[in-house]
Amino acid sequence: MSTSLGVTEYARGRLLYKGAEADVLRGEWQGLDAVFKVRKPLPYRLSVLDDAIRRQRTIREAEMIHLAKKAGVASPFLYNVDVPASTLVMEFVAGDRVKDLVDSLPRSEMEDIFFDFGRDAARLHSAGIMHGDLTTANVIRRKGALVFIDFGLSIRTTRLEDHAVDLRLIKETLVGAHPEAATAALEALNGGYAEVVGPARSRAALKQLQNIERRGRYARVT
Amino acid sequence: MRRYVLGIESTAHTFSVSVVSSEGRILSNTKSVYKPPEGSGIHPFEASQNHHASAPGVLAGAMDGSGVGLKDLSAISYAMGPGLGPCLRVGAVVARTLASSLGVPLVPVNHAVGHIELGCLLTGSKDPVVLLVSGGHTMILAYSSRRWRVLGESLDLTLGQLLDQFGRHHGLSSPCGKAIEDAASSSTNYLKLPYTVKGNDVSFSGQLTASKLLLDGGSTFSDVSYSIQETAFAMVTEVTERALAFTGKKEVMIVGGVAANRRLSGMMTDMARRHSAAVSMTPLEYSGDCGAQIAWTGWLAYSKDIEVPVKESKVLQSWRLDRVDIPWRD
Repeated sequence: MSTSLGVTEYARGRLLYKGAEADVLRGEWQGLDAVFKVRKPLPYRLSVLDDAIRRQRTIREAEMIHLAKKAGVASPFLYNVDVPASTLVMEFVAGDRVKDLVDSLPRSEMEDIFFDFGRDAARLHSAGIMHGDLTTANVIRRKGALVFIDFGLSIRTTRLEDHAVDLRLIKETLVGAHPEAATAALEALNGGYAEVVGPARSRAALKQLQNIERRGRYARVT
Repeated sequence: MRRYVLGIESTAHTFSVSVVSSEGRILSNTKSVYKPPEGSGIHPFEASQNHHASAPGVLAGAMDGSGVGLKDLSAISYAMGPGLGPCLRVGAVVARTLASSLGVPLVPVNHAVGHIELGCLLTGSKDPVVLLVSGGHTMILAYSSRRWRVLGESLDLTLGQLLDQFGRHHGLSSPCGKAIEDAASSSTNYLKLPYTVKGNDVSFSGQLTASKLLLDGGSTFSDVSYSIQETAFAMVTEVTERALAFTGKKEVMIVGGVAANRRLSGMMTDMARRHSAAVSMTPLEYSGDCGAQIAWTGWLAYSKDIEVPVKESKVLQSWRLDRVDIPWRD
């Protein structure tokens, strides 16, 4: 049986990114260039609640990283799953986050990225996977291809509603954080999405997205 | 030259008038708050009757307290929305009357933008991730390209509604936040409740149902209050943390009525420390609905020539704050 190395062992790596729910460190794992995604206890959450959430998301992320590959969507290689330390050890994906590319790339290249983004999101959905945190920070472009990361909020679901929640988050992120690029990016994304799921399902998903937006306070549908 | 703007708030339970100066001094902030009967929420018509009856006194109080005269006012601002129709209309009528009789511009203000801008004035926060939590809103926002952008929100109930509807189920009258906070402080018995985070959004309806069922099943008000606070506040803190990590900003500001809750601000402080970000809260006196949020934002808007002719002025019950152009930041 494998034993947990404990959070401190992973903390030897170099901090790459301090996310909302995890520290991402870069270090070495059995001679491989690796990242450690460490879900540290969050001080503001009751430990009984926090422990359960961190454990559940660690296990789920490991499962979903695997399922994404089966769906034809690139995700990091997983080296180890250390549940007691709420830590995943993964391949280091050398590339740029889409978030950092959106506002700097030429328009056509940006649209190509979002077409692929939409296509891959649709592949996940067609395989019954909702990503759950589909922001521009969670997709990395490596050598022209996209790699999806951060599956901690993913669930297995074929419900239209859940798939539309994914699309809503992309839209919320684009409109909220990249307002200049948002319209063109969304159009490209919808194109890629429709190519995989077909026009009927794509229309239904966008319709459901509108329904979700209507639930927002004081929303008037656009 | 120093200028003065009067602002009128009447979106929900509070009718309030304030005078501010162009340099950001709040000269007066007088209010009358409608209190619904025990076990019930705000009845829009009854609230509007309260506003109607108290308007002259509140207005006179705000003018007397300000030390300036009606002739010194450069503009009249009012909360055009969002809010309860009958309540909004009382404020609008008073504002139109003042603006046309004084011959000064009438300036429409979005109530939620008012919460944020007053918070920035009073806390000195420059470019924060904002958590707006009240009876009307639960939103995480950041400014970008002339708009306050929504980075996350509740898809059903607001945090204030969750607290109020739970409190009313127990027989309290709205607002119930203070009573729930007090009850929670005497418990450490956590009862499991749904923790619903969808990406950057949250949902509270399942948690409200589960909380009512716990209460009906014999759990104590203080245990359930404690459990709601620990669950619901952790959810909004988590999504605020996501927005903070995503935007890389270094300030967090909590505004709206629920900002007064110390457990929420404590969680946010613990969270922000992890990201070396500063947390600020609107002072208690100004965290709930008040005229000052309208007067100060009215001045900002007026300084950018935003006004509406009296004949064309209206109220908007639904007016999302990410639809409001913000020409005064940049």
